[in-house]
Amino acid sequence: MARIVAALLTSHAPNITAKPEVSDPAQRARFLSSFELLRQRLERARPDRLVIFANDHLQNFFYDNMPAYCIGLADSYEAPSSGSSAFLKIPERRVPGDGVWARRLLKAGWDAGFDFAFSQELEFWDDASVPLHFLLPEATVPIVPVMTNCAAPPLPPPKRSYQLGAFVREFIEKECPRDERVALLGSGGISHWVGTPETGKINEDFDQQVLDWVRQGRGEALAGLSYEEIETGGGNGGQELRNWIAVLGAVPGCKGEVLSYEPVRDWITGAATVWLLV
Amino acid sequence: MSDYQLNKLLFAMAGEHKMVESVSEESDLASYELSQAEKDALKTGDIARLYELGANPYLIRRVFRPRFKV
Repeated sequence: MARIVAALLTSHAPNITAKPEVSDPAQRARFLSSFELLRQRLERARPDRLVIFANDHLQNFFYDNMPAYCIGLADSYEAPSSGSSAFLKIPERRVPGDGVWARRLLKAGWDAGFDFAFSQELEFWDDASVPLHFLLPEATVPIVPVMTNCAAPPLPPPKRSYQLGAFVREFIEKECPRDERVALLGSGGISHWVGTPETGKINEDFDQQVLDWVRQGRGEALAGLSYEEIETGGGNGGQELRNWIAVLGAVPGCKGEVLSYEPVRDWITGAATVWLLV
Repeated sequence: MSDYQLNKLLFAMAGEHKMVESVSEESDLASYELSQAEKDALKTGDIARLYELGANPYLIRRVFRPRFKV
């Protein structure tokens, strides 16, 4: 049986790489060293591919045609492109994809009642470029992006992301070759307010509640939050928790080891890294 | 809905990686059907007002980044 060999949750924010120096040095050191620990563990897990649950920030999709869920079918992705490279201060690069595997996931989804959109060209901003910069600096593992609309309301319900994760697990275990090794990454959150009048706010109480559920393996509790509860407690950036919920849905009951939590004011994000005990 | 046109303008600017204090050139506004309130907010770079008017906050952040303190 193919299996999930690693499952990770991380925050992302452009200033992690664009302006690392504006953050508190001790906070920065703790957060970045946790990313290094995640990188080492991911490497030891020897995944054949990485399914990354992430969200667009309106660089690929717009209100004229907005997918709730979209699978990337490309064999490589800009992460970042030249334009966003200048802003993110991450060298421009293409990371490998796995179009064949992604097509199989897409079709299995349709059979299972997940009407995914698909895309043969996705450009990543901090959503995937930042975590991949730290986790796969050599781009040695092909990625399969599963995008969820977290940024352009109305958004799909969080509980659907939990079901999405369960579907991805079933696909891996039932449809993939026996010796295949798959890693999962959920990118986003925790609380942050982006572009709203409350930009810069971080709600540590909300973040700690989220992390407690993650520690306890209670992804369903997180998936039970409504759009309004997330918006109030975690801000519009908190809606990215859908990406975490999808991973938690793929590894139900697995407890999380929180490697870092830093409410970094100048990155305007409650920033965390989690290794799930799969 | 008019805020669609507002977001369309911001989406186009974000795609060109423009980061500005305001959008004051009539030529930048001419292609979009904007209300007077939207035009005023764009011209003055009033990010709170743009949010009230329905601009997507990620696009506000992206395009008007110099307007944010953090």
